[in-house]
Amino acid sequence: MQTTNVITLAIESSCDDTSCAVLINNRVLSNVVTNQEIHNLYGGVVPELASRAHQQNIVPAVDAALKKANMSLHDVTYVAYTNGPGLMGSLLVGASFAKGLALALNKPLVEVNHMQGHYMAHFIATESSTSIPPFPFLCLTVSGGHTQILLIKNHFEVIILGETLDDAAGEAFDKVAKTLQLPYPGGPLVDKYAQQGNPKAHIFAKPKVDGHNFSFSGFKTSVLNYINKQKQTDADFVTNNMADICASAQHTIISMLMKNVLACANEYNIKHIALAGGVAANSQLRKEITALQQHGYTTYIPAFEYCTDNAAMIGITAYYKYLNNDLGTQQACPQPRMAL
Amino acid sequence: MHNTLFKINTISELPQVAKYIANASLQHSIFCFYGEMGAGKTTLIKLITTLLGVNNKVTSPTYSLVNEYSTIHNTTVYHFDFYRINAVSEAYDMGFEEYAYSGNICLIEWPQNITELLPPHLCINIDKTADTSRTISISEVM
Repeated sequence: MQTTNVITLAIESSCDDTSCAVLINNRVLSNVVTNQEIHNLYGGVVPELASRAHQQNIVPAVDAALKKANMSLHDVTYVAYTNGPGLMGSLLVGASFAKGLALALNKPLVEVNHMQGHYMAHFIATESSTSIPPFPFLCLTVSGGHTQILLIKNHFEVIILGETLDDAAGEAFDKVAKTLQLPYPGGPLVDKYAQQGNPKAHIFAKPKVDGHNFSFSGFKTSVLNYINKQKQTDADFVTNNMADICASAQHTIISMLMKNVLACANEYNIKHIALAGGVAANSQLRKEITALQQHGYTTYIPAFEYCTDNAAMIGITAYYKYLNNDLGTQQACPQPRMAL
Repeated sequence: MHNTLFKINTISELPQVAKYIANASLQHSIFCFYGEMGAGKTTLIKLITTLLGVNNKVTSPTYSLVNEYSTIHNTTVYHFDFYRINAVSEAYDMGFEEYAYSGNICLIEWPQNITELLPPHLCINIDKTADTSRTISISEVM
């Protein structure tokens, strides 16, 4: 088995975006997420979601990733792909493509769990050597579809300490935005308005749940009920209080996240705390995680392109699996509800 | 089945509604849940899935569009959320019809976004009458 200059070709198609990355060992050479720009090169528009979109995107994405990495298909050591969790139709596109490619090139296959990819993004080599967390560390993975606190014991041994029982944190942001009539996905807009607002102006419910789990559904309803009540006396309540509502809602979501992360850090006596997932783009969350450094913690936030759904994180996970000789098979079938 | 109406004052009365709907799974496989955001669609679906024997964690599929659950009876239950769908073609493209005509139970939130694609189903409409009280009407759509 080749263990030096390992070239990974990784494919991610679990949800909306089709992505392809090329890595040499733990270093990313290219990480292409299909967008309008790439699609313009091949003509047509990018449909917003669904497996048919992946079908249209996958060849351009792989081609662009190889070109950007200055590699050809024959340089590739093995092919990696996401085999869950995600939409069956979307996963099938990536899985079938990866299997076909591996078969044609006579190269090994590696299957990757998308959720593992999120925390493994921390192991992508960067300029600074201090950006890779030592074991054990905590990882808060927050995205539109997931909210988890993980205890990472080594690359592949992970304990889920807490997770959402209903809505994901990113979804809570998007639904608050919807209540405020901001366009979907409104999370980034809530962040933007919140920067000018008072986080203590309005009080929203923080549902209590067992252990280190989360519930954002009750919070969402609390925001909704509060706003509807205020609108009865002041029709312009939302417009006049946009910044304060956003700041207060954001503060509530983030304080729920931070409280559980700190409780886990205390309980397991962990000093290294990492952030992953698309909500890692939220400026306040980044600020609060980073501020933990003043309290004796070391914190880690990957580059944003490795936080949202991307193939580089699938590639880095596959690289460690490949070194472990944990190879996939042509018989594998994607698993939409795959757990960590 | 005739139209059925439940008026409940608190969430503690929701299990009886869930029981009624779960029992209807003998005649129906498609269940559509209407109601504004925060009405309690996911909460009601959670109770129904427990009665159907689902042994996975039931979470919101807003982002994933569909969650697939397995039951203790070795059957599959699909939980959809079409909240963020902008065009019916997107539901077509995700293969909605394959799920809908699979014979497995489909619990669908925000079905109003894919009306054209809906097979005959049981319609569950949750009306928010106050912060905690709800009127839930259940009817067949053939």
